[in-house]
Amino acid sequence: MSDLTTAQAVEVALELLGPDGGVAIGEVSASTNLRWANSQLTTNGSMQETNLSVAAFVPVDGGLGCGISSAQVRTREDIENLIAAGRASAIAGGASEDAQALIEGPAHDNFHDAPAGADSSGVSHIAGSLGDVMRDTAAEFFGYAEQSTDTMYVATSSGTRLRFSQSTSRFELCAKSHDRQRSAWSGQGGTTLTGVNVAAHSDSVLRGLGHQLNKIDLEPGHHNVTLSSSAVADLMIYLLWTASAREAAQGRSVFSKAGGGTRIGEQLTQRNLTLATDPNLAGLETFDRVVNLGSSSMSSSFDTGLQIDRAEVIENGVLRALGSSRFAAKEAGLPVTALSDNIEVVDAQGHGTIEDTAARMGEGLLITCLWYIREVDPQSLLLTGLTRDGVYVVRGGEVIGAANNFRFNDSPVSMLNRITDAGDAVNCLPREWADWFTRSRVAPLVIEGFNLSTRSDAI
Amino acid sequence: MSQPVNNPELPSHLSEAALSVAAQSGADVAQFRIARHQSRGVSTRDGNVENVASDSSTALSVRVVHNGAWGFAASTDLTAEAAADAARRALEMAALSAQVSLNPVELIDEPSYGTVSWTLPTEIDAMEKSDAEVIALLQDWNARVAGHEAVHHVDAHVAMGRDTTFFADLNNNAISQSRDRISAQLTAINVSDAGFEDMRTCAPPAGRGWEYLQGTGWDWDSELAQIPEWLAEKAKAPSVEAGTWDLVIDPTNLWLTIHESVGHATELDRALGYEANYAGTSFATVDKLGNFKYGSPLMHITGDRTAEHGLSTVGYDDEGVAAQQWDLVKDGILSGYQTDRSTAAGIGLARSNGCAFADSALHVPIQRMPNVSLQPGATDITTADLIAGVKKGIYIVGDKSWSIDMQRYNFQFTGQRFFEIRDGQIVGQLRDVVYQSKTPDFWGSLAALGGKSTYLLGGALNCGKGQPGQVAPVSHGCPSALFTNINVLNGRSEASA
Repeated sequence: MSDLTTAQAVEVALELLGPDGGVAIGEVSASTNLRWANSQLTTNGSMQETNLSVAAFVPVDGGLGCGISSAQVRTREDIENLIAAGRASAIAGGASEDAQALIEGPAHDNFHDAPAGADSSGVSHIAGSLGDVMRDTAAEFFGYAEQSTDTMYVATSSGTRLRFSQSTSRFELCAKSHDRQRSAWSGQGGTTLTGVNVAAHSDSVLRGLGHQLNKIDLEPGHHNVTLSSSAVADLMIYLLWTASAREAAQGRSVFSKAGGGTRIGEQLTQRNLTLATDPNLAGLETFDRVVNLGSSSMSSSFDTGLQIDRAEVIENGVLRALGSSRFAAKEAGLPVTALSDNIEVVDAQGHGTIEDTAARMGEGLLITCLWYIREVDPQSLLLTGLTRDGVYVVRGGEVIGAANNFRFNDSPVSMLNRITDAGDAVNCLPREWADWFTRSRVAPLVIEGFNLSTRSDAI
Repeated sequence: MSQPVNNPELPSHLSEAALSVAAQSGADVAQFRIARHQSRGVSTRDGNVENVASDSSTALSVRVVHNGAWGFAASTDLTAEAAADAARRALEMAALSAQVSLNPVELIDEPSYGTVSWTLPTEIDAMEKSDAEVIALLQDWNARVAGHEAVHHVDAHVAMGRDTTFFADLNNNAISQSRDRISAQLTAINVSDAGFEDMRTCAPPAGRGWEYLQGTGWDWDSELAQIPEWLAEKAKAPSVEAGTWDLVIDPTNLWLTIHESVGHATELDRALGYEANYAGTSFATVDKLGNFKYGSPLMHITGDRTAEHGLSTVGYDDEGVAAQQWDLVKDGILSGYQTDRSTAAGIGLARSNGCAFADSALHVPIQRMPNVSLQPGATDITTADLIAGVKKGIYIVGDKSWSIDMQRYNFQFTGQRFFEIRDGQIVGQLRDVVYQSKTPDFWGSLAALGGKSTYLLGGALNCGKGQPGQVAPVSHGCPSALFTNINVLNGRSEASA
């Protein structure tokens, strides 16, 4: 937005939306990344992006229409074109089901402040540390590091003016033996790469490769497993994405009650397990207001600016809430539950590290991460996927070697009732969903009879 | 809206600003791209409009090889200053990369094509259709299926997109390209005390215009007319008995199995380990090229960037390599890979087959998937002929759930419609069918191919790969085909076992 600051462009958009109103969101992002494979840097990048999106509201027969348009803009004329496209879509679409009066949200004093600048120090820190790792001939190394900064300017015709800025970092290190018969992974999400201890991650993956020197061939079946925090996060994020009030109330979800209604109030596990999203989760804070364009069962343009509080979807084992927009909540006859962009899974009865938890399991498998997770049956929320980069065999409370990989077929909902132990919740990087979800604090869980359905020969 | 990039004055002005900085700094390779991606989407829920949205995203980027290392930088600021700045930042990234890179980057040669342009042909410009016309189409479709007693909810959507790109490099290329795509789906849902089931249209996304939604390339009228009855039958269908079955797989399902088990497995960057931390590697390693038995001798799979209406079809890739067609698996033997100029050089090939591209100018081009297609049999065997030859089997139509491991061995798929075959006849639908196999075993069990009349170009808009993540559209053509003795699981009992 070279002729206008992003905040100015957002204000111009609101002005052009006129008395009919709407929402304008300006986004400024800067990111830097490094990628490596076979102990060589492969790709890298330095990207800067700005974007303006609007939800244009227009009175139409029967109510208020809403049209969404977005583009890069530089001039007032660009913004006029953007608004015209949004208004045309609003008129064509007719009255929106989810039309509501906009929230009168806060007006941040720093709304007109410049966007947070790009920070390349984290990537430089990683590059500086990687040299030593790459020169280690004990294994070959693969991985990725990314540092991004996003600033969002949100304005509505009800007076809301929000400026959010957040930094996000992601670091992953995978080590493979030279014969490619062993593979281990370690990852870390957060807000800055400068705190990443590359040597510690390297030690971790090399330790994993060491455990894998003793290969133990295991058959598929129902095994007792300790799932790492990363693996649990990947499963519970899918559960969270499915926890929609509307679909449950319509009988179209694992959270639908047979015969009608939802399963809210049902005890899903005897454990004192809580699954929550919380914009104020210490160290993993995220936007505490709804910022959304478009309509779905969980969100609505008309909810932009709505405060997001801590939402305990599962509280001490009981299903307590399902995600919704204000409109979807009314449809479902449930309280409004806006979910934030992070996840916390805590088992109050759990304690200790993942190693402690696996040791208490005694006999079973310690699963490092899951991969290629997809829904097979929405009625039970049966998910499938693969184990990856370390399935460690635990005997007598100690890791004695590593098994082959497996395809799993299991449901994170039915799994809740098979938790037998847990560790302390820790910050973790979900291996599968890290492209979308890096703010996770999750406990490792011991699951009885996890369905490792078929064998995978992949390494 | 953003400045149009099909104005030749704009991109050449920017490319000169960027490339001159790179050339003056002594870059061995410098590639400038500017790309505009326009998209539109309309969705309805039970006939009510849920979303009407449009997006236009334009960015420029510069990629260099300097002192033997890659550098890449991008910006959405479309000014000469920003283009020059991107070049400088790319050079800085190359300098940072050179600190850690041990082997210098090498690119295989490609001729210069000079100033050229390419456009994917369509009949009716979908992007010019008004929102009202798109909404009217979806509401008409909704009305056709919503009145049936088995249909309790209907979700539908149309999505369309246009990529307009310009590529210039120090090799005197100045390549302008444009291509369109379109997709639509309708899903009908049945809810009962026993649970819920759904049934979706199986039309693949295509490199076509609005004519596609009017019946050119897909018989919407026929499929929409049958959706309610198919759904009603599926809701009451018996649950499949887990075990070994012969499968006649329709192209609307088989395209996805090809995508996962052959498409990704024959990406050379995966075989070389570049995706090991993320998407994974491949069992089809370079030592197997020309000698590995991938499957039945009936198996002839090609890669191409030239297929008519293909989603990966283009004139030139993002490294200036002209579109080609080649063999990946011939007579059941691994015969080739998908390459970019760097990976092709890495294994000593004479030329890249043009598979370097990015999903926007904000992302670095990586080796991505061309259209990967199973060629039909020489004899024009019909799907009915294939079914007639099966004693106990399932005819699977449409894709749904999919998953495959990180070396492309163990996969598991479901579908939309599962018709039980007994003694060569379809006797009704089954529910809860999940088929699972290992790639070489599955392709080794290919027993018969349908002919040209069964061939269909399927595909997807959402093929993911790379870090940072990139999404690409890709097509896969195939005939109906018969696979024998495939492991079938029951989705319900897998959940409750």
